[in-house]
Amino acid sequence: VSDVTILVVEDNDKNLKLIRDVLQFAGYAVVSAGSGEEGVELALERPPDLVLMDLQLPGIGGAEALRRLRDSSRTRLIPVVAVTAFAMRDDREDAMEAGFDGYLSKPISVTSLPAQVRGFLQAGVNGSD
Amino acid sequence: MTNVTSTPTTGSDRDRLTLELDEAREQLDATNEILAAIGRSASDVDAVLGAVVESARRLCKTDAALINLLEGDTFRVAAAAGVSPVYLDYMANHPIMADRASMVGRVTLDRRAQQIRDVLTDPGYGRPDVQRVGGFRTLLGVPMLIEDEVIGVLLMWRNEIGPFTDHAIELVTTFAAQAAIAIRNADLVHALQIRTSELADKVEQLEALHEIGQAVSSSLDLDEVLTKIVSHAVQLTDTDGGSLLELDLAAREFKIRAAYGTSPALLDSLHQAHIALDSTLVGRACLEAQPQMVYDLETAKLDPHLSRLKEDGWRSVLAVPMQHEGTIVGALVVRRRSPGNFSDDVSGLLQTFASQSALAIVNARLYRELEQKSRELQVASRHKSEFLASMSHELRTPLNAVIGFSEVLLQRMFGDLNERQEDYLRDILSSGRHLLDLLNDILDLSKVEAGRMQFDRSQFDVLTVLQSSLAQVRGAAQSRSIALSLDLSPDVGEIETDELRFKQVVLNLLSNAVKFTTEGGAVDVRASLDGEGLRVSVSDNGIGIALEDRERIFDSFERAGRARNQTEGTGLGLTLSRRIVERLGGRMWLESEVGIGSTFGFVIPLGVRWETQPSGAVETGPVVVIVEDDHHSIELLSLYLESAGVRPVVAHDGASGLAAVRHLNPSAMILDIRLPGMDGWGVLRELKSDPVTASVPVVVITMLDERPQAMSLGAAEYLIKPVGREAVVDALGRVGALPSMPLSDVVANQGEL
Repeated sequence: VSDVTILVVEDNDKNLKLIRDVLQFAGYAVVSAGSGEEGVELALERPPDLVLMDLQLPGIGGAEALRRLRDSSRTRLIPVVAVTAFAMRDDREDAMEAGFDGYLSKPISVTSLPAQVRGFLQAGVNGSD
Repeated sequence: MTNVTSTPTTGSDRDRLTLELDEAREQLDATNEILAAIGRSASDVDAVLGAVVESARRLCKTDAALINLLEGDTFRVAAAAGVSPVYLDYMANHPIMADRASMVGRVTLDRRAQQIRDVLTDPGYGRPDVQRVGGFRTLLGVPMLIEDEVIGVLLMWRNEIGPFTDHAIELVTTFAAQAAIAIRNADLVHALQIRTSELADKVEQLEALHEIGQAVSSSLDLDEVLTKIVSHAVQLTDTDGGSLLELDLAAREFKIRAAYGTSPALLDSLHQAHIALDSTLVGRACLEAQPQMVYDLETAKLDPHLSRLKEDGWRSVLAVPMQHEGTIVGALVVRRRSPGNFSDDVSGLLQTFASQSALAIVNARLYRELEQKSRELQVASRHKSEFLASMSHELRTPLNAVIGFSEVLLQRMFGDLNERQEDYLRDILSSGRHLLDLLNDILDLSKVEAGRMQFDRSQFDVLTVLQSSLAQVRGAAQSRSIALSLDLSPDVGEIETDELRFKQVVLNLLSNAVKFTTEGGAVDVRASLDGEGLRVSVSDNGIGIALEDRERIFDSFERAGRARNQTEGTGLGLTLSRRIVERLGGRMWLESEVGIGSTFGFVIPLGVRWETQPSGAVETGPVVVIVEDDHHSIELLSLYLESAGVRPVVAHDGASGLAAVRHLNPSAMILDIRLPGMDGWGVLRELKSDPVTASVPVVVITMLDERPQAMSLGAAEYLIKPVGREAVVDALGRVGALPSMPLSDVVANQGEL
């Protein structure tokens, strides 16, 4: 499964490292970006199979990054999963409203993350419906 | 022929008898006439007195008859017959005194009837001036008595000498008595009228006070109340204008708060004036707690307040203090455009108004303070929520790394661990998880208190959930030799509610019970069904909770003295549990006895198979039932509906959807076809075959392309997923399910399902 690439967009170094290490351990190729702009750029350059996108990012937010990915024919069909630690706002609702294909709440579970990612990959775009 | 002895009736005798009869008849007529006049108008004493003098003059065949009424020391001619205007005019300017110089005076002093045969020869007669103007010679005077008091004299005169017979005197005496009665009646009527009018005034005052009292207690618009008070005060004290001044105690100055009968120019002028407490009339009224009045502003010592009133043409002023419980609140002022005093009645009335005004102002101030405090509280509460939210977020991010890396290492993803390393990592992980629990509780509590917690209904087995909850605390219980038991009544099977939240509540009560039960104790879980719903209780035989702590224990961060020294637990669990139970439509309670133990119980109603969306964004408006099992779709549809002013009610399966329609009579149903249990076709068939629900329009929203079948079963609209907000709202509009007044779009989101 080493040909499956996952783009992780996350501005917190330690969280990025954690997700990357766990996914790599599970056998995925991981490309990481520290901002929305960088994530979009990398995705357009070399489209990944799945994007894990933090919602609260410096510069353009996760929702805007998602919109840009959907705007391009190269990345339109890539499933994008929101990763949030929003507390008060109904993060899940926000994520679905914004059009994400799935949702992960921080802190992520190291033990279940590989299985969750597998599920998102199988469901594809709009897989939650 | 019997010789009848009889007194022969002479002609002159007959004439005399006839005369007497005629006189008696005439007298009777006259009396009747007077009585009729009295009866006609008891209050119109002039008419009665007029009838008396006319009748007396006619019957006694005199030239004049007059009624003189005693007013102070002199007499006034109240009624007259056969008297020239010149005489009346003369008497008005030269009245008769109550002395022996006149017939009227003598009668008054002697309190008996008497006559003067010829005034010209009477040595004691002392009013030749009156005689010259009247031209009389013989005078008869009869006193008019009320309870032995002479109130006047009925005077008869002849221009030629001709004394009055006893009969005539008797007749005149009768008339005088009738005139006296008429006057007394009139006095009584007058007194009655005054009393009536006083009563009417009193009623008016009481009504005004009542109205003000109501205004004071019901209206918090202070200006409206105060203006009402001033206007009533002015009207009831019969003055021309008034104003109400509120004291600013810090500045020791009065400010005009309300006015009546006051020109805009004067009001403006008064607003600009510095009306100091220490150097003005109103200030003195307040400081001395006494009404103050100015008889005439033209001659009074002026102050900044009074001089402005004077400039505006006011002449007299009455100021009363307004106090409430010993504190000066202000002053109430009424004024007239003419000089004069204010009676004690007016002053008293004004003081009554002043105390009402004081109360109104004090009430309004209290309300203002309360409003201010509640605004501050709202701000504080919002700050608290924002703080909790941001703190949770900030803490979750590093916790993510703490928990995650601990897990990575414990999974041996990157190599083996020695025993001590593993032990420490487990400590790091469990501490991290404990911190996360705390954060989650805080977050949940913030959500539930803000009404934003989501509830997902599902059907589940109560026994399974209770057993799995017990399993989670078994380790902790065994380590302290606490016995766990479960008592489930046989009728408890599956229920439908939010399974995760239900378990959260049970687990919270259970872990508390285990935590606070003494070593070797017991914790019992009971579940049963009753009319109210599912009843679950968790009992321990711990130290119990004192009465004064039983309500407090449900407050955030309270452990009510039973475990302040314990470190575990967030102190939020019970608060959260109770809120969750309440949101599920139930209630939670606590029974406890110190030294015996505590029982926490809750009940949640069953049979509710549909729910309104928890956001509650739309409170009124048409209801649309959404029959849909996919949460994602439910949430989006709900948002779309709320944005269009529609109240979404969600049913997660077909049977619940039908039940919701029967109970709520919604304006439409949104129906998915792929549903657990009865599918959408079944729902549509049943809905359309029941006359009660057949008229509810159905909008089918599904991934299937089966439009013809839906239409043939009676669906009104058919939309294929994914579907945007506009399509849904338009479809609802076409079936007439939108509110008549369209709301502006709350959600402009155009995303698709």
